[in-house]
Parts: sequence; C-alpha cells; structure tokens
Amino acid sequence: MNDSKLVNVTINGVPLQVPKGERIIESARRAGIDIPYFCYHPRLSMENGANCRMCLVEMAMPRTGPDGTVTLAKHPKPQTACSLPADEGMVVETETEAIVKARRGVLEFLLINHPLDCPVCDRGGECPLQNNTLHYGAGASRYIEAKRHYPKAYPLSEHVVLDRERCIQCARCTRFTQDISGDAQLDFLKRGADTQIGTFNAAAFSSLFSGNTIEICPVGALTSRDYRFRARPWDLATQKSICTECSNGCSIKLDHRDGLVLRVNGRVNEAVNEEWTCDRGKFGLPASISGERLTAPLLRDGDRFREVTWDVALGVVAEKLQAAGKQAAVLAGSKLANEDLYALQALCRGGLGSVRYDYRMGTQSSEARDAAAMLFGPNPAPTGIAGLEASPWTLVVGSDLAVEHPIVFLRLRKSWRFGKSKALEMVSSSAPANTHVGAFAWSSVRYADRGLPESLRSACSLLLAEMPGLTATPEIRAWAATGTPPADDTASRRMATALSTGPGTILVGEGALSGPDWREVLVALGHLAGLTGSTGSVNRLVSGCNDRGAEALGFGDWQPGTAGILAGAASGATPALWIAGADPVTQYHDPQVAIAALEQASFVVVSDIKLTATARMADVVLPSCSVAERDGTLTNVEGRVQRFWKAFEPRGSASPDWLIAARLLQRLGKPSVWFGWQDVLADMRSHVAAFGGVSLDALEKDGAMLVAPQVVD
Amino acid sequence: MGNPVTATRETWGPIAQGMALTLKHFTQMIVARDKTSVTVQYPEERREQYPRTRWRHALTRHEDGLEKCIGCSLCAGACPARCIYVEAAENSDERRFSPGERFAARYEINMLRCIFCGYCQEACPTGAITLRKDFELADHHRADFLYTKQMLLEPTPAPGAAG
Ligand code: SF4
Ligand code: SF4
Ligand code: SF4
Ligand code: SF4
Ligand code: FES
Repeated sequence: MNDSKLVNVTINGVPLQVPKGERIIESARRAGIDIPYFCYHPRLSMENGANCRMCLVEMAMPRTGPDGTVTLAKHPKPQTACSLPADEGMVVETETEAIVKARRGVLEFLLINHPLDCPVCDRGGECPLQNNTLHYGAGASRYIEAKRHYPKAYPLSEHVVLDRERCIQCARCTRFTQDISGDAQLDFLKRGADTQIGTFNAAAFSSLFSGNTIEICPVGALTSRDYRFRARPWDLATQKSICTECSNGCSIKLDHRDGLVLRVNGRVNEAVNEEWTCDRGKFGLPASISGERLTAPLLRDGDRFREVTWDVALGVVAEKLQAAGKQAAVLAGSKLANEDLYALQALCRGGLGSVRYDYRMGTQSSEARDAAAMLFGPNPAPTGIAGLEASPWTLVVGSDLAVEHPIVFLRLRKSWRFGKSKALEMVSSSAPANTHVGAFAWSSVRYADRGLPESLRSACSLLLAEMPGLTATPEIRAWAATGTPPADDTASRRMATALSTGPGTILVGEGALSGPDWREVLVALGHLAGLTGSTGSVNRLVSGCNDRGAEALGFGDWQPGTAGILAGAASGATPALWIAGADPVTQYHDPQVAIAALEQASFVVVSDIKLTATARMADVVLPSCSVAERDGTLTNVEGRVQRFWKAFEPRGSASPDWLIAARLLQRLGKPSVWFGWQDVLADMRSHVAAFGGVSLDALEKDGAMLVAPQVVD
Repeated sequence: MGNPVTATRETWGPIAQGMALTLKHFTQMIVARDKTSVTVQYPEERREQYPRTRWRHALTRHEDGLEKCIGCSLCAGACPARCIYVEAAENSDERRFSPGERFAARYEINMLRCIFCGYCQEACPTGAITLRKDFELADHHRADFLYTKQMLLEPTPAPGAAG
C-alpha cells in the first residue's frame, strides 16, 4: 500500500515528509504526536477496522479552484487517523476543540455498557481503555440507566476467558484469528448493543495462537485463565527473555512475582516472532518451570535420595567421571543454553578426553545430517524466518509446521496473505484432513505411508513435463521417469505449476530425514531442489529449543551418538553418564531402550530443574536453573543467537549447567577461566567459528546470526 | 568554688523551686482531682483518640458478613512504604469470601514498615481497609509485626447482630 514516494503533510502545524499512503496515525506517532486509539493495530488488516472512532482528527486537503487558486478545503466531518492515507498537502489537526469534544463523546459512548469493574479486572493498570479515559475522557459519567449484563468469565477455551460486558467491539481479536493465525475462530455474533464476540456454535476457541488475542484486546474482555487474578501489573517485575518451548526462539517478556513466572507476553523482534507468541510458549513455559523444583543436590541412598551439599555431590561425580575418563559420556537436553553445551563439551573433551556426548533424542542420524549438509550447503537454514516473505513459493515437507514451528508457520502465512508467496505442502495421508498449511496452501499433496520420496519424484517428473526446456541431466530424467507414474491429480499438477516459476524455498521438517528412507528422501529432495534452482534455499528445520546451537557446536558429531551412549551405559562400556537437562525416559524415541539402559547403568548423574522420570533413576541429582533464573544465549532454528536475562534468583542452591561443568573441571584438575556466562561465551566466540560473529551488542538487540558452520569431516 | 553561701543557694534553690511545683500539682491532683491534670492512668485509663487518628488497620466486612476486600491490590499499589502484600483468588459459589469474582487469598501488612499515612484506605475502592484507633502495636519479635489477613479481618458479626 505504501508508495516509496514521499509526500508533504502537516500535523498540528508540524511539516512532515511521509511515504504516500501511510496512515496518518503512524506518521503522527513517528513525529511524537499522540493520537489515542483502540482498534488500530499495525499488523491487522483494516477490514472491519476503523470501528472504535477513538482516533478522530480534523483534516483538510488543498483544492485548486477554477481560477487556479489553491485553497485549503476542510473536510466537514472528523476523520479516523488510523485509516487516513497520507497525501500531498494534507493538513491534520489532532487537538482542536471539536476533536477534544469528539473523543470525550466516543469514550462516553464506549463506556455506556462497560462495567468499569477495573479493581477486579486483570487488565486494570495496563488497560488502554483506562488510560485513554483518564487522558481524554470526561471526569464523570452522565449515564444512569441500567447497563447491559452478561454472566462474567465465560470460558472461551481452556486458556482464554471472555467477559462480554467489557468488550468494546474493536474487532482486534476477530481480525487476529482471521488475518494472523488464520483459524478464523472468533467473530461477532448478534447486533446492536447485543453485539458480542464468540465462536461458531459456542465451540471451544481452539487455536494454536489464542493467547495473542489476550495481549491485543484493548480492554479486559479477553483474559488468561492461567494468569487470572494472580497479580496486578504493579505487583510484577518484567524481564526480557527467549522462549524455550520450541526451536523458533520467540522474544518474550517474563512477568514474575516472588520467584514465579506468572505470565509470558510477546516482545517485538521483527526478525523472528514480530510480536506474537504461540500458546505452547505463552502458557506452557510458565507451567514447565513452575511446580516442584529441585533445590539441593541429591545422593542416592538405597532406594531413596538424601540431600547433600554441593561439595559432597560434586566430589562423588568428579570421582566417577575421572575413573571413567575417556569412557564417560554426556547427554544434553535441548533447552540447555549455548554456554552449557560448550562447557559440557569442554568437560568431555578437555577434562576427560571423551568424545561421547550427544543431544539427539530422535532417530535422525549424524549421517543423514551430514549428507544433507553436503548436498545443500553447510548452513541448515539459509532462508531464515523473515526470508520466507520474499520467497515466491515455499514447499513444506515432513513437518506439521504450525505445531512444530509455529512462528515459521505464521511467517509463511503472512507472506501468503500479502500475495508474495505460494505455500506448497507434501503431507502424509495419515495427517488430519485439514492441515494448518493446507488451509491456505496453493497445493497440498498427500502421500501414502513412506511415500515422500515417491511424491517428490512425481513432483519432479510433472515439473519436467511442465517445462520441457528445463536443463536436466539424462540421469535425472531417467530417475524421474522410473517408479510409479506421477500422480495425475489436481494438487500435484498445481504444485508443478508453482514449482516451475523459478527458485523458491524448501522447508524440510526433522521428520523427513529421520526415517529409514532418509537416503531416498534426500536424493529426491536434491533433484527437486536442483530442478527448481533452489539448492541454496533448502532449510532443514530442527525441533528442539537449542538443537541448532548444539549442531553448530558440533555437539552430536561424534560416534557413538545417543544410541551408542545408552547402549554403553547398559553394557557397562560407559561407566559414568551425565544427563544434563534431558529426560530420555520420556524424550528418547524408544523409551524402553532408555529405561533399560538407565536401569543397568553403573553411575548416572542427572542435572535438571525438576525430578524427572530420568532423574528418579539417577545416582546423583543436581539442581539446575531454568531460563528465568540465569543469563545465557540460545540459538534458534534459523541460527540466530539470542540472549536471555536472569529474572530472579535460582531456587535453593541450583546452578546453571555451565557452572556445574566448570566446577567439575576444577575438581578434575583442569580449571577453566570462566567467572560468568560471558566468559564462556567469549571462549566460544574465539574457539568455535560459527559463533565468531556473535557480538554482545547484537545480543542486546535482535540477536546475532551464526556464521554458517563448516561441515566436520 | 567561691562563696559557699552562693554555691548552696545556686544548687538548692532550683531544686526547691522544682519540688514546690511538683508538690503543687501533687496536692492539686490528690486534693482537688481537678480537670486540669494531664496525666492518665495508662494502661488502666486510655485517652480518647482524635476522630481522624490513623493507627492499626482493620479489614472490614459487609453487613452480611462477606469481606469487603476484593483483593485488587490498589492499596498495595498506593502504599509508599510498599508494605502491603496481596494475593488474590477467585470466589466460587461453594467458597465465597467476598461479593463478586475476586477475593484476597493472602493479605499482609508489614507493620514495621507502615508509616500510617492512610493512603491504602484512600485507594481502596470498597472501603475494606481502614486505619482505626488501636495504637498499642508494640511487640517482642519482628516476625510478629507481619499482620496476616486473619489478624486484620474484623470478626464475623454474630448471627442476627447485623440488622
Ligand atoms: S477493561 Fe479496562 S476499563 Fe474495563 S474494567 Fe478492565 S481495566 Fe477497567
Ligand atoms: S474481545 Fe477485546 S479484542 Fe475482541 S472485540 Fe472485544 S474488545 Fe476487541
Ligand atoms: S498506612 Fe500508608 S504506609 Fe501504612 S500500609 Fe497504608 S499506605 Fe502503606
Ligand atoms: S483492601 Fe481494598 S484496595 Fe486493598 S486489596 Fe482489598 S479491596 Fe483492594
Ligand atoms: S483506532 Fe481508528 S477507529 Fe479505532
């Protein structure tokens, strides 16, 4: 909508140059002129927008008379600044007497049916309606008639509570579900004073992103079930952080009180999550780090645990590790920070001379990963998240994107919404009929069990049929012609037309290369990427929070891998095993193997924030810190290293894993020089090429990209 | 030191004067029991406090016995000494403490930090927290100055008392 052409406008007598078509509310905001608003949101469409009328301004445009004289023609009615496109010569006034009166009127109107139960409202204290009423409203109400009443606290879903009395019908929530998350769950029901938001047939508001509506609702109509009545804004302290619930690494704010994270809100990071969060992070993160936490080291005493001092616990662990030496092993969890992984690595290699450490709990082998790196280049995610917006088509294979990578999904949907990109999807026929990407995909191709390579091959052969002039080696043509003849359905043909438009992006979920058929998948992907000219934009998505960081550090590069480590523990070849922040009993792809291994293992130490199923089987348990209780960095799926900040003190004597490793190193007689997490980071920057470009300055802002890691031969 | 006569006069004179005054008041009190006396026989007697005196807080109740406090934390927000701690929870029909949706599950005032400014009372939208005339707040242990909700809450009116 915005032309790059600049036009001259005047707001409150201040001459400004702004892009033609920019909404005046934005121009004014940049010039530091406050225009109050409710319904406007820069990321939401204007369909159903401009409905609250709070942003009224007076506007005049120059008009050339018949005699050529230019006069300023004032528009007879006030205009909504949120929908007013800037144009040459426009003159805007925001503080005239008429406007002051109009705003007061709008607020009085909005408050007619508003219950004004601010003292018990979770939005009170951070409520745009409160704030605007205070600044722009009348001092007292003239309304004495009965207000509209509804039952309070209607549960829209497990997480979202609706108070219909408080709703001002701004359509922010409905537009969010229609524009951003795309599930279109909310809409207006009834009309006139009875207008209310709701779901179709009063079904539960089921969305992966419902929590965002709570944040953007300008009143306390939508509130969080989990945060309900837990605190008022002035009771809370806020710390910047990074969500650890998946690999997308959203920038978030932790609101905490008395050492408890009470809620998670999105933090603006244009490169990653813009300002959104998914429900898994928003509601799952506080739950995952609250509850019963470990506060002191525990030592096994028969079939019970005994609390011991760190000195005793570390003494036992150091002795066992030292005795195991090269045979000692470490399994790391996906939520560990880069610093933890680096320190664990230093402990293994420098302290013990062992290369038995890994972080992978899935079935993907290092072989598959390295082969992919050979084929598509060392950078697993060359396109990145924001890069999706510029891609003419994006093919998703082997991933339920909205569930596994919610923020990547939102970005893909955004680029589709603005007509910049076609979304293509290859999905197993066992997936539900309506996939999230399928809802807006240009084409969604289904394949039978294990049929991904075949499906990719069929896409190649249709593509070759579509573009006879395509340069392809005879081998590729022959390969494409073998196997079952290409599925000749509409979806496949539509996909071929999109693929034929030139290079695009391919998103490969972790699942695609984890099966026994990974070689065939890889070959087929390679050919498809080659034929479409997209070899440089094949993105291998990792699922765990910091899996990308672990990969960049080479954490899982060594034989024997997780399977070998567990087998070693079972057979006695691994006399000492440290499991840091991982829970193989529930996370390993074959839990029985993990359980059997832990039962047989001669010595297992587990460091974690809670007494997990794995920790229960350990000989020593060490309490570690959650993301809220420490500083550090995490690497997200696109290779962005992002900093998180300590919000409050750890529980009891808990300690971050890097520090545990450092203390063990000292006991092993190989002391490190790390006094704080920054020292570990500094070490990492000078020793690991991938982290070389990570500057502290960039970490304070939107994070720093990894330097594409080199393949380890 | 100089003249013994002067010294004696300078020493004993003021003492005698002082004792005379004490004696005067003593006799007035004993004999006349007059209204000009300023001393009260604390703790047997207590002086009436001024109407707007602000001392110990009380959390008041509605006539039907429900708590007025709705756990809104506005008092805590207004308190310049940051000495009020409120944790709210949701009423249900089975467990109802106050009218409406919300009540204070925890309500604590750290009396050591309170400066008795009365801002909490000023901020309270329901008139729940009030500063009353009970000024005898001395105690032996620091921990005893943390007044809990149970200590602050008025007793439930006896059945039939309201009305
Ligand atoms: S929505 Fe805002 S104005 Fe309305 S009751 Fe809640 S805090 Fe008050
Ligand atoms: S619930 Fe909130 S966001 Fe939705 S229309 Fe009402 S006021 Fe707007
Ligand atoms: S009287 Fe003043 S200092 Fe004491 S609790 Fe109330 S607001 Fe706080
Ligand atoms: S005492 Fe009053 S201001 Fe304080 S929490 Fe209770 S109702 Fe709110
Ligand atoms: S903000 Fe412009 S009409 Fe609502």
